[in-house]
Amino acid sequence: MEEIYILGLLAVFLSIVIGFWALVKEEDDLHRILLTDLAEILALALIALVATDLAEALILPGLVVGISELMAISEVFLVREGLTRQPERMLHIEVMDSAPAILALALIGYGVLLSGFSGGAVAGIGVIFYFICKGHDERFAIFEVLSGYAWVMWIVAFFIFVLVPQYWFFGVLIAGAAILLKVAGKMSLVGTMRGGANV
Amino acid sequence: MFELPVTTIEGPEIFVIEFGDIVNYFTVYTAALFTFALLFTILVIISRPERQVDIAFGGDAFYTKDVTPAQMKFQRFMALACGLATLGAMMSGDVFNFTLFTSMVGITNIGIVAAYKYKHVLNAAFQYGIVAMIATVPLFGSAAIILATTGTLSMWELFGSTIAVPLIAKIFLVLGVMGEGMAPFYVAKAEITRAPGAPYVLMIHVSSLLLFLRVVEIVISM
Repeated sequence: MEEIYILGLLAVFLSIVIGFWALVKEEDDLHRILLTDLAEILALALIALVATDLAEALILPGLVVGISELMAISEVFLVREGLTRQPERMLHIEVMDSAPAILALALIGYGVLLSGFSGGAVAGIGVIFYFICKGHDERFAIFEVLSGYAWVMWIVAFFIFVLVPQYWFFGVLIAGAAILLKVAGKMSLVGTMRGGANV
Repeated sequence: MFELPVTTIEGPEIFVIEFGDIVNYFTVYTAALFTFALLFTILVIISRPERQVDIAFGGDAFYTKDVTPAQMKFQRFMALACGLATLGAMMSGDVFNFTLFTSMVGITNIGIVAAYKYKHVLNAAFQYGIVAMIATVPLFGSAAIILATTGTLSMWELFGSTIAVPLIAKIFLVLGVMGEGMAPFYVAKAEITRAPGAPYVLMIHVSSLLLFLRVVEIVISM
């Protein structure tokens, strides 16, 4: 086990050297952003080499931080290069007018039935589909409010786990409902990513 | 139940909150840093942006730039977030949480400068962002190596004499914080700080300075 860890560590360090060397050699700024993303993955590989449950739990925050940094510098890059463009409507067929309401309703209903992370994903897909087809001139405030409530529900569930552990099932239910709201809200934002006045 | 093993470096502990083996704490040293960060966060909340004056060389003419708080909304928010991330890094008792807060400081630093529309500022912000992103490799790498070799991330365990933290992990931690906070590399930041909006831009310096002081304490204690 020990040797495998050392071997893996060597492989990752070799990759880090290669990645950093590539970064030094690269001239194009866009390519440099992509290369930093590669370097980011090597950091995750270092964490993954620990190979315990805790490592698994640490990868997620690491990934989130990496992605947000990537988004921040991509935004800086876009502003610097003046690369902002209004996308036009790409696809419009008849079924996109008639189907969305009922399909979205069915998917959201099924998602609520599933509950939790997978339920949120299913319900979110329903909302994505609705927004892609119907346009999204709706107010986004409702998503922000929902997201805020979901967050509060998580905190409440956390306090239930810590303070009154005998009511753990209640805590699980609250956290499950909150993650349903959270995932559904987040995914539905994907459906609105086609440009527009209020995006 | 928890006792800081070594009190010679940072003084006796003042306040402790424990979540399992992760213990958030204040010692005399970190409490001083925390107060400093809090002070600057409050300053960011209450202060209005500076007004820059450009002198035209060769004459008596000068231009005053009018900057309203409304224009600086985003920077103020980011500076506030930066202050909060710094506060978190000051009181964190877990190596991984500390690295997370450090990279949050890096992100918010990019955010503070990214909203300006000046080409040279954006250029500097971009280069800085690349460095901050690369720095997450040694930063998380050090946390991972510490976890792999000692089996814990809690500073209270690591500060004890029974656990030896490998030198490479310490070096990585310092390197990572240097990259995120850019503490010794003020040359690269000079371009950034030419942007208007003094109290908010100051937060970049304050956060990196405090992060560096904290990481020195962690590395010496481990």
